Amino acid sequence: MLFFAVNVSAQQISTADLQVTGLTCSMCSNATQKSLETLGFINSVKPDLNKNIFVLTFKKGADINIDLIRKKVQDAGFSVGGLTADFTFNQVKVDDKGQAIVDGNVYRFVNAKSKTLNGTVKASVVDKNFISGSAFKKQLATVNSDAYANGTAVVNGKKTRVYHLILS
Amino acid sequence: MPTKSIGVRLTNEGMFNNPGFVSRTIPEVMFGFNKNLMMHAQGFLSDMDGKYRLEGGSLYLKYRFLSVDELQSHFRAAAFGRVSTSRRPTYTRDINLEGDNGGYQGGLIFTQLLHKLALSATLGYAHAFNDIDKQITGMPRPNNMFSYSLSSGYLVLPFVYKDYKEPNFNLYFEMLGKTDPGSGESYLDLAPAVQVILNSRTRIDLGYRFQATGNMANRYTKNMYLLRAEFNFFNALK
Repeated sequence: MLFFAVNVSAQQISTADLQVTGLTCSMCSNATQKSLETLGFINSVKPDLNKNIFVLTFKKGADINIDLIRKKVQDAGFSVGGLTADFTFNQVKVDDKGQAIVDGNVYRFVNAKSKTLNGTVKASVVDKNFISGSAFKKQLATVNSDAYANGTAVVNGKKTRVYHLILS
Repeated sequence: MPTKSIGVRLTNEGMFNNPGFVSRTIPEVMFGFNKNLMMHAQGFLSDMDGKYRLEGGSLYLKYRFLSVDELQSHFRAAAFGRVSTSRRPTYTRDINLEGDNGGYQGGLIFTQLLHKLALSATLGYAHAFNDIDKQITGMPRPNNMFSYSLSSGYLVLPFVYKDYKEPNFNLYFEMLGKTDPGSGESYLDLAPAVQVILNSRTRIDLGYRFQATGNMANRYTKNMYLLRAEFNFFNALK
């Protein structure tokens, strides 16, 4: 298997819509907001309290850790129901298995392969605990990736976190 | 409770039972250690035996072992345990580990959220410490108690949120029952309540509890109001 590791600017994700589930009232939303704001790479958190969506913007050049976003929501006592982000790709090659490696981050595209991504694309993270439990079970039956069940795979001889994305 | 946050509560209870009106004040601190484990520490002060005095304290631990979150709903299950002390003598078989009795309790809590309606069921079993020194001759000696309650809360306002400053207004209705497995005595209370949440961090509760049916004598919590203010400090713990 061939991997094309292409360097892009560190700013890979500019903004993300984070759907949070399990919230009861605005006190729960506030707890989630305060938890997310402790992340150093987050620039701003704008809530839509009626839809329970938080629009995140990220600091320029910061290392963005998608798993930490999930952890902060869970720390507040709730769950991620969806995360759709604007990824900026600079001539990123997606191989014939749907995999792309960008700055050491391994992505597997559920609905794209053997193509080059360039510019800003919207994509949703569909890994475990980034969508509802029932939605994950459904995806598990169809997603063609050995890394989907536990979110990790051996890449270049190393056990690595693999994010699964669906291009919008 | 969110991880690393602290909550502070001040509760005032007023009881309109014989021989007259008495009240209890409960300062309380709550800690969220992680997403599943929280602790409450309470103190109890009242004028139920004459002058206002500190009558005891309680530690409460709650561990959430199940959460299924969906967009407009969730289901949670938790186990809880409580240990309480009290200097008060006993005048009733009823066990109230928030001031009147020393003892321990364990139980389960199930919560279901359906859009704006929150339903909660609690099951518990309590054992009162048997303190001979405090016992008054001829008075009942509490021993064990089953407790069960159903609670429903409905978010009435706001219909549409503008921001975190928008106050929340909730209506609550609770059914609280207890059965003494030793004597077979039991009761069922009804408790309507209103709740206001300010600035998405301060909660005010006002409720009244009365007995719908029962045969347990000399209860303290039979006719009672509760007024509570809760303040939350998110990310307060390092």
